Amino acid sequence: MERLRDDMPHKHFMATLHLDEQELQSRRAFFEITDEELARLKALRPLAEKHTSAIVESFYELLLNHRESRRFFPDEATIRRVKQTQRDYFVGLFEGRCDLAYVEDRLRVGAAHERIGLSPKWYVGAYRRYMQLMLERLSEELPNVQDLRQAMRAIQKIVYFDMALAIDTYLAAHADTVRRHQTAIRELSTPVIRVHEGILLLPLVGAIDSMRAQQVMESVLARVADDQARVIILDIAGVAVVDTKVADNLMKTTAAVRLLGAETILTGISAQVARTMVQLGVDVSSMHTRSRLAEGIELALDIVGKAIRPKAVS
Amino acid sequence: VSDLHGAIPILRLGDILISTVHVDLHDAVAEAFQADVLTMIERTGAKGLVVDVSGLEMVDSYVARILAETGRMAKLMGTQMVLVGMRPEVAATLVRMGYRMEGVRTALNLDEGLAALRSTKAAPRSGSGT
Repeated sequence: MERLRDDMPHKHFMATLHLDEQELQSRRAFFEITDEELARLKALRPLAEKHTSAIVESFYELLLNHRESRRFFPDEATIRRVKQTQRDYFVGLFEGRCDLAYVEDRLRVGAAHERIGLSPKWYVGAYRRYMQLMLERLSEELPNVQDLRQAMRAIQKIVYFDMALAIDTYLAAHADTVRRHQTAIRELSTPVIRVHEGILLLPLVGAIDSMRAQQVMESVLARVADDQARVIILDIAGVAVVDTKVADNLMKTTAAVRLLGAETILTGISAQVARTMVQLGVDVSSMHTRSRLAEGIELALDIVGKAIRPKAVS
Repeated sequence: VSDLHGAIPILRLGDILISTVHVDLHDAVAEAFQADVLTMIERTGAKGLVVDVSGLEMVDSYVARILAETGRMAKLMGTQMVLVGMRPEVAATLVRMGYRMEGVRTALNLDEGLAALRSTKAAPRSGSGT
């Protein structure tokens, strides 16, 4: 999924937004984009082509004259390129087509904006200029008010349809980012380290709430099974507060580790924590406990049948 | 129910019985398995029993109880049971349900389970420190 997102973001968003034929029909029905309206758009195409260049020029005037939106267009080459893309996009509105291929093409726009960090305010604001320009040109071209009204109605439908897709893409991209960050935080908060063959160490730092405790259990169990580790040392020297809940979670993790066929050693128990645990009535008799990590490592080595020996002096 | 007997094969290796549970244990299958194991111990006088549950994606509290019970029954007959290869998600689920299978000996895999049984210090690990 990550690869798909990076290589072909519009394909990724087609999938995450569930844009299939059914969804397309649902959207078209809601935006009232009938085949009749599409035919009307197609009929307007010659007019659109006639005014494309002028409209796109005026459109970029707005974006380039605003101090903040200007920074998205660092040099002349970029401006030339985006103007060409914009001309294609504009004429594309009058293709008289609204199928999955069209949707995919539109998602490319949203994905590109998201990538360069162009937020919806610029997109929606600039689109407002587009609508204004179109109305101005069409008013000149279509003297009959009825024709003008029908034309503008058809354009408005396809434009709002496009904007909905673009904003959905922004939201989906944002959700992806949040998910990626959560995964990163989760991994960083439970760094299981292999200290020796068959021995794992998890130094716990900070506060342990119930969600984190669950992550601790899951990653500890997964690593014990993957590494076929015989012992896991949980070092709680960096845990600020050990209350009944935290203690209970540590006991649960110990019990689950035992079910896998491995053992848990709890280290880094300060005088304060020891006092609290006993006063809270926490029964840790089912766990190996040591005050210092070094002692925990010695015990772990003992369990796997090894020992640290002083170097022989010759 | 009788045709469920033998659904989970039990192999004999010297004085140790080995059984790999590869089908999901429904209640009746688990009960038949327990009866099979005990009959086999009676017949062979095996000193050890290794039950490999690495193939199980789900163990409910009833099956967990049957397995723990089997261990205690075997012990009464002089046979030490070791449960090996439990999957992380199974262990997590059992513990969350409050089922810790205390008193059941465990090992990471078949090798470790056999080694545990063969070691002279075959006293069960109580887990209360060394």
